[in-house]
Amino acid sequence: MSKPKLLWLQSISCNGNVHSFFNHPDFFSILSNFELIHHPLLDTKYTLEDVFSKKVDCDILVLEGSFKENGLKKHGVEVSEVIEYYSKKVKHIITAGTCATFGGVFKENDPKNISGFAFDREEKTIRYETYASKLISLPGCPIHPKWLSFVLLMLSKNKKIVLDEMHRPQELYGITVHTGCSRNEYFEWKVDVKGFGLKEGCLFYEQGCQAPYTKGSCNKILWNDISSKTIAGTPCFGCTEPTFPKENLFSTKTNMGIPSVMPLGVPRRAYLTATGVAKSFKIKRFEEKIINYDN
Amino acid sequence: MIIKKLIEKVEGEAELNFSFKDKKIDNVDINFSFFRGVENILVGKAPQDALVITPRVCGICNHAHLIASVRAIEDGYRSVGLEVNLTKKANDIREFTLACELIQNHIKWLYLTILPQLEKLLDHPSEENYALKASYLSSIITKALAIFAGQWPHSSYAVVGGVTCDPTYVDVIQAENLIDESIKFFEQAVMGMKIETLLSMDSVLDLPKIGGDFSKVLYLLGSSGMAELGKSHDRFIVFGECLCFKIGKSIPTRVSTIDTRFVKELNQKNSFAKGVTYKDRLFEVGPLARGMISKEPIIKSLHKRYKDSLLTRIFARVYEVGLLLDYSKKILGSLDMSEPSCTFDASTQQPMSFEGVGVVEAARGSLIHKTTVKDGLVSNYEIIVPTQWNLSNGHKEEKGIAVKAMVGLTSIDEASFVFKSFDVCSVCTTQ
Repeated sequence: MSKPKLLWLQSISCNGNVHSFFNHPDFFSILSNFELIHHPLLDTKYTLEDVFSKKVDCDILVLEGSFKENGLKKHGVEVSEVIEYYSKKVKHIITAGTCATFGGVFKENDPKNISGFAFDREEKTIRYETYASKLISLPGCPIHPKWLSFVLLMLSKNKKIVLDEMHRPQELYGITVHTGCSRNEYFEWKVDVKGFGLKEGCLFYEQGCQAPYTKGSCNKILWNDISSKTIAGTPCFGCTEPTFPKENLFSTKTNMGIPSVMPLGVPRRAYLTATGVAKSFKIKRFEEKIINYDN
Repeated sequence: MIIKKLIEKVEGEAELNFSFKDKKIDNVDINFSFFRGVENILVGKAPQDALVITPRVCGICNHAHLIASVRAIEDGYRSVGLEVNLTKKANDIREFTLACELIQNHIKWLYLTILPQLEKLLDHPSEENYALKASYLSSIITKALAIFAGQWPHSSYAVVGGVTCDPTYVDVIQAENLIDESIKFFEQAVMGMKIETLLSMDSVLDLPKIGGDFSKVLYLLGSSGMAELGKSHDRFIVFGECLCFKIGKSIPTRVSTIDTRFVKELNQKNSFAKGVTYKDRLFEVGPLARGMISKEPIIKSLHKRYKDSLLTRIFARVYEVGLLLDYSKKILGSLDMSEPSCTFDASTQQPMSFEGVGVVEAARGSLIHKTTVKDGLVSNYEIIVPTQWNLSNGHKEEKGIAVKAMVGLTSIDEASFVFKSFDVCSVCTTQ
């Protein structure tokens, strides 16, 4: 049986998704399941000019970068036109990264004209209906290499991927980034981190961490197979969400001292009750350093 | 006669317009045809948001953007009288993660660009999967980076006064292991010699001792007569105080001090990228410049014999991997976990107005960020990337660095290879 033909196309991008995927420790064994038509880093049989002259055939389209209808030309052709041409031909479209999925960072320079391919932040674009049946959204800035390999390998085996209402695989985005965070005990007992650079404490209360309401499996499937933002003490910036990037990314917006955005699906009253209970106890272990190098 | 060529797979694309005279390239007009407006995006945002936004300029040198951007804020804070002092630990961790990024970049360039392109150009095909080697080294060195920075690409772990991570010796030992693995790869696959032997080389006469994949590059450049192509203005500059590099300028071998106030951006017609000069003159940035200004003996020796040619430029970048691996190992060996990771409490001290400059050495050379903050929000942000130095079209008096390196050649394919020897980054240039 012939291998599915894979085309990786870029529009307004930073190349971060292509580099993120290139770091996958099994990169070449994954790619060996496909015939690579064109790729931004690897040597391929076809040139970008071949791709832009609409000469090549393909089955799976990986889109990287924000979408702009007019004004982004390569080889004298609008990139948007080439994207739509291949979108019609292929069996599957994967929007790789938040830019291609929702518009992302680059949307901000020209919010009226720049968006994701099928979504513009939370709204559906005019292209949505046409391509919905073959669309898989993989937001993340950048894309997680293992999320993309999961989707590609499922497709190569003709297996069904269960998607949510924004076409994200539920197995990857059904949980929040908070799931698996090394700071979970501190979240449970409402102990905040006393500044940056400490492993003790939760980043949700002051440092702007969006993990409890951001969909993604960054703390279940670790980054670079070893860590994540929150493990490394950096707040989650919600980079998989249609709203990325929000503002004031290093501080939590609060309402009467309580974070103004609740953990996903948790009613404010439930949160306040749980917080009240947790805070009424002072647990010594959570006030202490985990490791004392002076001993 | 003008011949247009689109160069792809240079972190995006660049368009080169070659003018010929007497069958030789007489001029090259380098165009980058898009612009993403990252500087504009930052206006009106909180100054710290730059730590999240600017890494998104570039998928391959995002970490350098993070470090430049945190340094710009720290410089601004100091300029209004606040004390921002990093511990040795915080500073060393930043240096380590930055070094890892440079290493992944140089190895990718060697295996994804230089080796396959040179073999193609000289019709010397091999069956090797060079990209596999690039991916292997890149995945382990960025794993070492991510131990401290949480992830690569697009970490934002450097904050005013230090770093957000609070590593343990468990982390340090894992990172040391990954560096040892990277050193083994570099010694066995890339250089065919011990790193100590490489770093103690001081003469071109030592080059034949090099084995591994890099010996193929040296052989192909030498046997084809390409080694001495690609000479430019023979002027170098390094602004970033970091890693194992010294700052200054070198014309061609006389090293002197510099001041960022003399850096000036130029608008260029036909291109969205701006050029940049120092005291109105063009300078080369990057590993060759760093080797010249730090007076690395082997780089000086190559330069004496081959000047700022293709061979010297390519050698300097691959050699730098050795320097950085050695430097990274030393850093990890001396980290003291009892020191604080971050010494500044940004929640209590946030100046409302300041101007700051942050400079760092990125893979391709000096990277400069300037932030201006008024009433607590960014009112202006400027980013000057290394490729603006190397790939500008120059001005009335002087041709650009890469342009001059291509002028006089007869073949567009050769010229394109010379162009790529500067390690082109289209996305940075069009930030």
